[in-house]
Amino acid sequence: MSFHLKLVVPSDPRFLSIARAAVSEVGAICGLPEETRQGVILAVDEGLANIIRHAYKNRYDHEIELNCQTGPNQIEFTLLDRGEPPDPARICGQPLDEISLSGRGTHLMKAVMDEVYYERLPDGNQCRLIKHLPAAKVRDRPDGPAPG
Amino acid sequence: MERQMKSSTRTEKGTTIVDVVGQIDLGSSPALRKTLMESLKGTKSVAINLSAVKYIDSSGIASLLEVLKEARNSEKRLVLFGLTGAVLQVLQLTRLTGVFEIHETEEQALGA
Repeated sequence: MSFHLKLVVPSDPRFLSIARAAVSEVGAICGLPEETRQGVILAVDEGLANIIRHAYKNRYDHEIELNCQTGPNQIEFTLLDRGEPPDPARICGQPLDEISLSGRGTHLMKAVMDEVYYERLPDGNQCRLIKHLPAAKVRDRPDGPAPG
Repeated sequence: MERQMKSSTRTEKGTTIVDVVGQIDLGSSPALRKTLMESLKGTKSVAINLSAVKYIDSSGIASLLEVLKEARNSEKRLVLFGLTGAVLQVLQLTRLTGVFEIHETEEQALGA
């Protein structure tokens, strides 16, 4: 079963929990193991936080569009914003050998997700996060197929 | 799951214990950082109870690191205990499990 979920949230950290809850349920529907689901929630949350901090410079009066597209073999999250382009150095992440205070968000995204893509659009930025589903399957309707 | 981040402070065996509850993210990590920095004042040892923290992101980890650096600079002890699976997972992914002093229980944190 494939489905698409779209959520538009203010660029306000108070709304991150709403996005996390939605991602959590998508993960559950797709049958992700708990640890994997927690990782995916973290990765998407980090992507959203990066948009708030860097694309929108901590302005809370903008919007972020979060799209979840599931398929038989993967879940794809697309984060869209209309803010500043990301710093290429930040996209590459930071080395984690020292106790640095920045760069761990990008590192987490890349550590958890199987594919991470950044793209500058004519009017903003797009970040795509893809998680493969090797053995999980999308949960069927609890009451079976629709009659008819 | 408790959504709001809350914290409270108490003292046991000369150690200031900060009990944290809820989710630590970009919205709540500044408040946590402020509380933890305050907790370092007037004590030689701080233990952070994370047993009721079900979610933490990199901003929360950054706050913990900031406080750890301050503790080290002022030669104070900072330990974490009661880490849930979600918190431990983030520390492992960011390769920080060896940076913090971590214990399973409060008793162990106070007794070490």
